[in-house]
Amino acid sequence: MSKLVLRDVRKAYGATVALANGALELAEGEVHVLIGSNGSGKSTLCKIVAGSVRPDGGEVLLDGQPVTVSGPQASHALGIGIFYQELSLAAHRTVAENISLARLPVKGGLFVDRQRARTIAARYIAPFADVVGAGFSPDAEVGSLRADQRQLVEIMKTLASEAPVLIFDEPTSALDRAQVDRFFEELRRLRGEGRSIVFISHRMDEIFNIGDRVTVIRDGRTVATKTIAETNQAEVIAAMVGENREFAIPATSDEGAATGNELQAPDGAPQSEGESARPVALQVENLTGSGFADVSFSLHEGEILGFGGLHGQGQSAVLRALYGTDTTLSGTISLAGRQSEVSSPRRAIREGFGYVSGDRGRDGVISGRPILENVMPVHFVKSRRPLAVPSRLNEQAIPALSALRTKFATLMHPISSLSGGNQQKVVIARWLIDRPRVLLLDDPTKGIDLSTKTELFALIRELAAEGMAILLYSSEDAELLGNADRILVFNGGAISRELQGAARTRFNLYEAAYSAAERAAS
Amino acid sequence: MTQASFFPGGSQAARGLLARFPFMPALLILIALIVLNGVFEPNSLSYRAIRGLVSTYLALMLLAVAQTYVVYAADIDLSIGAILSLVNVSVIVLLDIFGGSPAMVLLACVAGVGIGALCGLVNGLVVAGLRLQAIVATFATSILFTGLALYVLPVAGTPAPAAFWRTYGGSFFGVPFVFAAAVVTAIVLYLLARARLITQLLAVGDDAQAAFQSGLPVTAIRIKGYVLCGVFAALAALCVTGDTASGDPLVGGKMVLNSVAAVVLGGTALSGGFGSVVGSVIGALIIGLISSLVFFVGTPSEWQNLVQGLAILIALMVGVLVGRKDKS
Repeated sequence: MSKLVLRDVRKAYGATVALANGALELAEGEVHVLIGSNGSGKSTLCKIVAGSVRPDGGEVLLDGQPVTVSGPQASHALGIGIFYQELSLAAHRTVAENISLARLPVKGGLFVDRQRARTIAARYIAPFADVVGAGFSPDAEVGSLRADQRQLVEIMKTLASEAPVLIFDEPTSALDRAQVDRFFEELRRLRGEGRSIVFISHRMDEIFNIGDRVTVIRDGRTVATKTIAETNQAEVIAAMVGENREFAIPATSDEGAATGNELQAPDGAPQSEGESARPVALQVENLTGSGFADVSFSLHEGEILGFGGLHGQGQSAVLRALYGTDTTLSGTISLAGRQSEVSSPRRAIREGFGYVSGDRGRDGVISGRPILENVMPVHFVKSRRPLAVPSRLNEQAIPALSALRTKFATLMHPISSLSGGNQQKVVIARWLIDRPRVLLLDDPTKGIDLSTKTELFALIRELAAEGMAILLYSSEDAELLGNADRILVFNGGAISRELQGAARTRFNLYEAAYSAAERAAS
Repeated sequence: MTQASFFPGGSQAARGLLARFPFMPALLILIALIVLNGVFEPNSLSYRAIRGLVSTYLALMLLAVAQTYVVYAADIDLSIGAILSLVNVSVIVLLDIFGGSPAMVLLACVAGVGIGALCGLVNGLVVAGLRLQAIVATFATSILFTGLALYVLPVAGTPAPAAFWRTYGGSFFGVPFVFAAAVVTAIVLYLLARARLITQLLAVGDDAQAAFQSGLPVTAIRIKGYVLCGVFAALAALCVTGDTASGDPLVGGKMVLNSVAAVVLGGTALSGGFGSVVGSVIGALIIGLISSLVFFVGTPSEWQNLVQGLAILIALMVGVLVGRKDKS
């Protein structure tokens, strides 16, 4: 008898389909692994069960009964506990308060029974007592804890729900070996009690260590469910990749064809990679900041360098550091052989960086303002002109927008009148008026429909062919494989592997991202 | 600054102290101000003067406490001044109509607290229920409440019955009423700090999404926060009524931002999730002592506002600088 069944669950955010046909069948007393590449819909599936995301359609059955999970409170009541990947902790509250936040014990109907909260916390801390590390106690403030300790608090909080169904969405990403072992012991004990557990991880070794069955999800669809015993790592990766295991389309039209290249970098551009004769546009050495450490690479003119790997391994952080929005702690950034200080986006723009973020609402679009004003801000920074004459601006904006085939009524229409894809084109058009030397693309096609994506990448390749150096981070592996000349695979804030030439296959990229995630015993 | 020597270079001990008692910088400023007041006007440390200070600023202290509870949840209430005015004139008019017998005074006070709670409920429904921006929505309700107050009592001046202000200004068994009220308030605040609602408010202010995902009824918690705020604003109104012994439909207007300043001075984060009511009470006292200090040093009357504003700015800066040094 299945404890929890999901059938044909769908969820779309605007044009982006997060989940097209999600299905899962969770038995009683099993650890069920859910695996899929970046953005395949695992987390969405979990959040639908947890009630924090409402599905567009499909059914959820608990103990054979169809249920509607209207919100987190409803899912608690139904007996579902969830570990959130991004954690659901209150930083200024204590460990004990966080562990029983939803069910704070009270006395006299009003007052928090701190003693009992501490006792409850102690009960869930006990199994981890010798691996929690220094500074961890029921009275410690969660904000003062290390990342791994916070993740343990979220684990304890999930366990404290004592729910028959437990869902863990990447619970081990910050834990060390001993902590994971202890956590797995707990999971095995709970499985013995008959609890049903969903476990998501990107680490193959963990999956094969703890799982009973595995369900693979690809592009928002559940593609296969197998018992761990009758499958292996290669088969799981193959299922994640799908049918097409062929080599990626070679993207570069001009690899090694650096004939029309008269620009020489002042220092003679050492060709450490030894295969591109083009001058180095950007040299990054030992860059360290929040979320990444000791990152070094060089980017040549006319090259598209891809950042790959699992979500949040430092790719965006590096791009944001280069653009001056995040601070760096150490390391050097040289632009065309000259060391540059990028202390703010304003500096970075003047140094020759351009940045396009996939998070248009936060980083790109000036909402509520006309299209024209959304095209011009970079020009204002670069030209240092105090006056903005509308007719002159129109002359510059229109060619940039039409180069991108942006559909708009007039330049004075608000940017919100455009679709997401066209808004992103407007943001990109900023960089076509005064062209940067290095364009940083931070998952630029997030939430954009397929045909616009194709147009955007055609333009990006065109810009590269004209000599612009481009750094591309994409959460969609197909975009990287189809467009990047080289791919640097990130893991835990560092570059773990470089893929180039014929090695740029989907299989290699997945394997690099996933097996790199196998931790060294610590 | 004298404070610098108390927090040398962000030592571990000082940092721990600041985490446990976020109002430490405010307390140091308060002590400095008491000393300065004593230097310029030795009489200001007399029993009589302190009693006067408490009786004048008890209202602001309660108002700052009221503001703290909504700020805990990362909300704000710009209507507490208007709530204070409305409760003030309602109590005065009720007593004017039904007479000022002691029983009636008590009844009017209960009614006043009820009105405060009701106003808080309206704010909560508008801000948390309808999901409007707290700062704008409560600004709008402040106009609404002021309008009601002006309807209840169009012109300031109706006096409070003697039973009311004699009690507030009087003593029982040698203990001044205001001191007793302050002690009772302290006990209530101490108990409230352990209430589940307070922890929930702080959790919501810390990260509303996380609180929601943890299964907390976020909307209901925020509404309760506003009701609690309304109740304390009403208590502040009763103190104002006792202190001024009359009704004034606009009395609370200028106290709104003082209450916000007191909360910030006391080390509570406007972004929510962190702070203490003790800090807010100290913040209110700092604002009170600054105005008396400005008076005692003999500032010409036309300069008093300017000097007072500068002094509050400096106090804020000291608090922020000390806090920053010890967090980094």
